[in-house]
Amino acid sequence: MNKKAVALFGAAIATVLALAACGTNPNGGSSAGSTDTNSTINVGSLYEPQNLDDTAGGGQGVTEALNGNVYESLFKLNDDGSVSNLLATGYQVSSDGLTYTINLRKDVKFHSGKALTSADVKYSIDKVLAPDSQSARKSSFTAVKDIATPDDNTVVVTLASRSISFVYNLSYVWIFNDEAKNLTTTEDGTGPYQVGTWKRGSTLSLKRFAGYWGTSATNAQVVFHYFTDATALNNALLTNAVDVVTSEQSPDALSQFTNNKNYKVNNGHSTTKLLLAFNDRVAPFNNTLVRKAVTSAIDDKKLLQSIWGNYGSLIGSMVPPTDPWYEDLTKVNPYDVNLAKQELAQAGYPNGFTFTLDTPNYDPHPAAATFIKAELAKVGITVNINIITADQWYTKVYQNHDFVATMQEHVNDRDVVWYGDPSFYWGYNNPQVTQWVKQAEQSATAADQTALLKKVNEQIAKDAASDWLYLYPQIVVASTNLTGYPLNGLNSQFYVYDIKKS
Amino acid sequence: MVPYLLRRVAFLVVTLFLASVALFLLLRLLPGDPANALLSVGATPQQIAAARHEIGSDQPLPQQFVTWLGQVATLNLGHSFVSTLPVGPQIASRLVVTVPLTLLAFALAVVIAVPVGFVAAYRSRRWYGALLGGLSQLGIAVPVFWVGVLLITVFALKLRLAPAGGFPQDDWASPGAALNDLILPVVTVALVMSASLIRYVRSATLDVLDSDYLRTARALGSSFVSAMWRHGIRNASVPVISILGIELATTFLGAVVVESVFALPGLGSMLVQGIAEHDYPVIQGVLLVSTFAVLVIGFLADLAQRIIDPRLRAPHLAASR
Amino acid sequence: MSASVSVPVRAPARRRRSVTLTVGCVLAGLIVALAIVSLFWLPYPPSDVSGGRLAGPGGGHLLGTDKLGRDLFTQLMIGSRIALAVGSGAVALGGILGVAAGLAAGFATRWLDDAIAAALDILIAFPVLLVAMLLVAARGASLASAIVAIGLGSSAVVARLTRVLVKRILSQDFVTAARTSGTSWPRIVLEHVLPNVWPTLVVNLALQLGVAVLAEASLSYLGLGAPPPNESWGRMLQEAQATVLTAPLGAIAPGVLLILLVIGVNLIADGLRDVADPTRRRSR
Repeated sequence: MNKKAVALFGAAIATVLALAACGTNPNGGSSAGSTDTNSTINVGSLYEPQNLDDTAGGGQGVTEALNGNVYESLFKLNDDGSVSNLLATGYQVSSDGLTYTINLRKDVKFHSGKALTSADVKYSIDKVLAPDSQSARKSSFTAVKDIATPDDNTVVVTLASRSISFVYNLSYVWIFNDEAKNLTTTEDGTGPYQVGTWKRGSTLSLKRFAGYWGTSATNAQVVFHYFTDATALNNALLTNAVDVVTSEQSPDALSQFTNNKNYKVNNGHSTTKLLLAFNDRVAPFNNTLVRKAVTSAIDDKKLLQSIWGNYGSLIGSMVPPTDPWYEDLTKVNPYDVNLAKQELAQAGYPNGFTFTLDTPNYDPHPAAATFIKAELAKVGITVNINIITADQWYTKVYQNHDFVATMQEHVNDRDVVWYGDPSFYWGYNNPQVTQWVKQAEQSATAADQTALLKKVNEQIAKDAASDWLYLYPQIVVASTNLTGYPLNGLNSQFYVYDIKKS
Repeated sequence: MVPYLLRRVAFLVVTLFLASVALFLLLRLLPGDPANALLSVGATPQQIAAARHEIGSDQPLPQQFVTWLGQVATLNLGHSFVSTLPVGPQIASRLVVTVPLTLLAFALAVVIAVPVGFVAAYRSRRWYGALLGGLSQLGIAVPVFWVGVLLITVFALKLRLAPAGGFPQDDWASPGAALNDLILPVVTVALVMSASLIRYVRSATLDVLDSDYLRTARALGSSFVSAMWRHGIRNASVPVISILGIELATTFLGAVVVESVFALPGLGSMLVQGIAEHDYPVIQGVLLVSTFAVLVIGFLADLAQRIIDPRLRAPHLAASR
Repeated sequence: MSASVSVPVRAPARRRRSVTLTVGCVLAGLIVALAIVSLFWLPYPPSDVSGGRLAGPGGGHLLGTDKLGRDLFTQLMIGSRIALAVGSGAVALGGILGVAAGLAAGFATRWLDDAIAAALDILIAFPVLLVAMLLVAARGASLASAIVAIGLGSSAVVARLTRVLVKRILSQDFVTAARTSGTSWPRIVLEHVLPNVWPTLVVNLALQLGVAVLAEASLSYLGLGAPPPNESWGRMLQEAQATVLTAPLGAIAPGVLLILLVIGVNLIADGLRDVADPTRRRSR
């Protein structure tokens, strides 16, 4: 029931260079006739913020509702994956790649009326790095050595080692007013909207900010309506209680929208992967052959079909097609029951074995676990499904590594780098891979980085480090009188300021 | 009546106190530290220590209990671990949904159940009396969420006569919109609730119809209507009112499931969310308020019963309750 | 609140009484039979996913399949096991605890009796579903949690009823006579109290069984019942809710079985009451 995704925070290794164009129009729908700039847009979502501060555990929902809408960063991560200037007007990098000098816009005001200065930027980066920070991006900034503010409009960041994804990572750092208080329940950002009212458990409204420095939002108000269950969300869309659904999670209702001229179903790119993650430290999954056998024994295609109907796609590794270092690796460990049986026999388990699968209690994990149990029974492996809550998962699996195998959805892009960290929960330990990941982050060019991460990608697929079951679809369903909504929802962002209603 | 009232009020106060104690113990004796609620979002040991300090779970149990009683007495229910919003005002904003839902459903259920129950009893040997009895039998066997799903499917999705769920963001600022959103939930609860009420009304009516005083009154020449009016209703209403008290309380708390089906931001969905997030101040606050509500409803039902039925005012009977 | 004693509803005519009991036994028996058969034979293995996605009835699947391609009828049969296990487990627990507490209160001194009565009032103020949710929050969703929670919830109701019944019996002349003639308490309980209390209790326990089955379905619907791959009817309903327009059978069939079982159990309770309570026999 509880659709709260446990986001695993990819230390995103990235580049300021734009990604290859994704081949889709970045904005949904076709151009509409007359639009109403004073309209209210009702957005339906399953991901409610837990609080309003993304460095205090606001979760996936706070990114969706506030990122880019209420809070802005120095740089903006566009829906197509590219990065552009936002509160920064530009930056210079020293030749050794260790000093970033960032220039700020001069005309920016916070919602409270205070003007943006370099002190706010320093405060905001420090807030991410603070000991009590729960920011998803904290570990991405370990290379930061010093932040200086020579004048009101300049920030100079010194790094201890090269970090090719530094600017990309800055696109996740919200700029707060350094004097603001109570940021978990109120806000003071620079974005095109101010938070109106927040009714926890129900709605969050955003109101157009009159003093915005940039182009004004094309609608006057946006109300996020939160649901705990996909069916209720679909019903709300069907009965016009909401205009758009940020991320459709139930394929069965889609037939009601696909054949209906009042709705448009947009199939965008997702970065959310469903993983059957082995604990690579413990028997039997410390044996590569066993992991390969399990991977080959599960018919991912049928699983995807069961959960998502005709949506979603298969991946052979952790990297989704939108990452620059993507390769099709679905053939590395193909679905082949006989091969699986051979590998099991070779590994010394001709009659299979029994293991416990720790499964989060929210969709789609229980259903997928049931499917996997049935598939593995065919090669003699018995699966005991152990249903746990999200916080139990965090403590038992993520923190204590007290598990044999688990399931989890991983939402971030560019998170293949976690396979370079042997202390990560799945415990994949290949010194070569660790080395490549480290080198990739310190590379001088994007091409070097891409080449290295491709190697990582191929190696983890060969080792069946985890079983990457499938890539989620990213389906945004909207009523046809709506245009300008984001299609890809990268990292669960949802920019609402260009949405128009006719 | 006055001594009884005093005793009953004293009893209410004692049960309220005991309920707060029970709630406190229940939640503290659960395995694990309430501070663990913060783990789900990635806490460090320092943060856990800070959380324990903030919620006071690092204090000795008796001290925690005194703090808790102080909170209850001052109606300061603390702050949510997750959203950091104060719990009290949040509960108040949820009651704006749950209380009207409960009262409307209750009123509708009574409006349905009293005449239907009466007819089912008075005409129990006719086919329609038996049919009504049978339907009530069906009604108490149907799970309330199933009724909700069926009503949504038919009236919201197929016929488009009512919204499928949700509640206006500005609550009752436009009463029409709010009422519109409550139609299906109210009908759902009322249908299920009226089924058991019908059975009680029917049974109470059968008892009255059977009774000697009614026969006597009729033998003495009263018309059926006036005999029923003067003796029957008063007598039949005594057991029914006590049941109504229990049913009202059940509806209030049973809203948990209905609010889930209809995505209503009421007390029930707040509790479900609190449990899902292990948000102890929220769980504690909601349970305290709902337990108090149930106890107070029981108190009022007892009073109403005594006012209607003079027999219960006799001292020996009052003592044996 | 003595109203829980005046148990409602009775059959209007003598002939219908036996009909009530018979119909109830047939309905509940149907589900029990389904559960017993499921222990020895199932149309498909429980986790067989060989069917198509949401296939309609026919083609080897009597009622079609669910999202994962599992046979719906197989899942329903397994669901009957869970409904009956949780229902009877909870009622057994509630019965034992409730009767013990009720007897204790009935025999206790005024002071202790008042204390138990107050405690029961508070317990009843925590409805079954809330107690269950708390337990689940603490111990995780499991079959045992559901049984314990629902059992605890119904024990308060049973205890309150037992207490009133015991008090009523104890005030009767024949008990007073037995007490003055020096009969021991245990003998009074065994010879006078239990035989007189028993019939009403059995009826109430049967009603509680219906309540327990419904409570289990609600818990599972909220995702707090027996975890997968146990197929509880409540969770089947929750899962099928998304496909109610495309594959309505999945949302209807578990509900129908649930209703049949609860009606069956309630009819048995009604029938038993008429048999057990001769004062109800007079025809109006």
